Amino acid sequence: MPSKESILSKIKANRPNLWPLPDVPIFETLATDKKTLFIQILERGGSKVHCIDDSTQIHQVITTHFPEDKRMISTLPTLEGIEGITTLHPDFYEGTEVAIIEGLIGVAENGALWVTENELGNVRVLPFIAQHLVMVISEKNIVGTMHEAYKILGLPTTAGFGVFIAGPSKTADIEQSLVIGAQGARSLLVILTP
Amino acid sequence: MMPHAQKAAIFNKDEARTDWHDASLWMVRKKRDFAVSEIPEWEFLREFASDIKMHTLSKLDDYLEAFEKAAIQNGAIVHWAADAKEHNDIVLSILNKHQAKKMVKSKSMLTEECHLNEFLELHNIEVIDSDLGERIIQMLDEPPSHIVLPAIHLKKEEIGELFHRELHTEKGATDPQYLTEAARHHLREKFHTAQVALTGVNFGIAETGEVVVCTNEGNADMGVHLTPVQIHSMGIEKLIPRRSDLAVFTRLLARSATGQPVTVFTSHHRNPKPAGEMHIILVDNGRTEQLGKPDFRSSLKCIRCGACMNTCPIYRRSGGHSYETTIPGPIGSILTPGIDLKKHGQLPFASTLCGSCTDVCPVKIDIHTQLYKWRQIVSEAGLPEGGNKTMMSIMGSGLASPSFFHRLGNIGRKLLRIFPGKERFLSFTVWTKDRDLPKAPVESFREWYAKQAKDAK
Repeated sequence: MPSKESILSKIKANRPNLWPLPDVPIFETLATDKKTLFIQILERGGSKVHCIDDSTQIHQVITTHFPEDKRMISTLPTLEGIEGITTLHPDFYEGTEVAIIEGLIGVAENGALWVTENELGNVRVLPFIAQHLVMVISEKNIVGTMHEAYKILGLPTTAGFGVFIAGPSKTADIEQSLVIGAQGARSLLVILTP
Repeated sequence: MMPHAQKAAIFNKDEARTDWHDASLWMVRKKRDFAVSEIPEWEFLREFASDIKMHTLSKLDDYLEAFEKAAIQNGAIVHWAADAKEHNDIVLSILNKHQAKKMVKSKSMLTEECHLNEFLELHNIEVIDSDLGERIIQMLDEPPSHIVLPAIHLKKEEIGELFHRELHTEKGATDPQYLTEAARHHLREKFHTAQVALTGVNFGIAETGEVVVCTNEGNADMGVHLTPVQIHSMGIEKLIPRRSDLAVFTRLLARSATGQPVTVFTSHHRNPKPAGEMHIILVDNGRTEQLGKPDFRSSLKCIRCGACMNTCPIYRRSGGHSYETTIPGPIGSILTPGIDLKKHGQLPFASTLCGSCTDVCPVKIDIHTQLYKWRQIVSEAGLPEGGNKTMMSIMGSGLASPSFFHRLGNIGRKLLRIFPGKERFLSFTVWTKDRDLPKAPVESFREWYAKQAKDAK
């Protein structure tokens, strides 16, 4: 591979003297109540948040928010009566009205929720292709900042894809006017379990 | 090529539109300020980000090799491209291998830099830019005027008309919600029928071989996950050593760019999807050369947030297209003279040197200092840099000689009394084009001081 060698040798000839790599501290949030901040930031970004006392209420919350009989796909093991993952072919999931998935970590400072392909039943496109997205997360899994989130995440082990999702898909490409629902989900409902 | 000043003058002819452009970008700058104020450790984060990037540049060869090794272990195919041509050839070879005729692309300034679209279209490949702003300017056959807000120069009426023509929206419709909805349907169809998806890369992680892509629309993910073949084009300076470094950069990027606390989607791609193929193209295209310039190498720290453009008084009032570079604004004006000094040598002069770009830069690039240093290089090379030379030489000799300075002041005060305000008696300089000159005092400080000294006796 001639270009690889030429690029690397040019770098060797041109690079500056060794610059030390800093140790970055785990900055924490100053907010005393991470849950409240998490909800506040999510709502500011156009998401809805619904807190429940018991995870058996998830089904009811979903039918309250989406009363119409439309196609739903869930990757939550506990949700009975809702279609699960039956094929890995991504196009099959076009036409999904609501996708229901689990979030592993919630970040209070920016309202981002971490999910990997393991929680998506290996259908990576699911949270993007659905018209509406529901993410279920335990409030125990809310951290303050991205530093804390990456500390928990560590290095990837099994998942080949992971994503922080911080709200519904949006754009402001036309005259800086905010439009919710660009190419991905039109809404994000976060269900907070104890 | 028309000089920046001349293009800016044309842009400025429509005063109302210039004001609108200026205000749109200033609004983004204000959102940034608010988002920054929410993070007490902001200045520390900038310092860490700068040091992490400088460290990476100082061991870039090692980190690139580590990245390649990890990516190959993950199952990705890694390519190296010395220049734009090689990059484009690699993309075409991947498309040909899969007999693909349609490719969806998410926003990538690197592919703009390589002029990939034009190249692929010559080879009968349909390229669909899937970011809304990018799609708009692609339909108009224009380059982006901003690296984060590619269609910031356009009015919704113009986009409405374009969509009426291209997507058959209602005539006269200008509602952004309605227009975005039309683009959504148009693009959904493209995502399902394309065979290959290409994205840019915000960060490459040396220790894991991952590429991280940050978007708000979700278009990059729609493309990558729906097509069997994914390509990630990445400038070699996008590397960071550790996955945990992402904490620093994700906190800085969106807050600096649009004032959001984080982009809606921060996607970490490590390996290909089941039965899929993942390619990563590492591109040099002049970056190693910039690395060899001690005064300018820190420009390679740039994470493409666009904050320097939003804050720049020149950019806001001249528009991105006046720069005629892939990356406009202050950062573009220090990145591009190194590529072609003759063509872009005038750009370091498109600045007031106010330093606002440096103040907002999340990775602490000393942009205005580098602008100043490029000016020295351009002047030494004897390149024409606008009409300031005559004025500069008069100023130079005037300021060097006390008696000449004294006489010059006298003449100036008299002339100002005869032709006040915008009379433009100094018509050979652009300085008075839109400025009222101050009222001339009756005497100079020297004359006043001499009088005081006499009176005191």
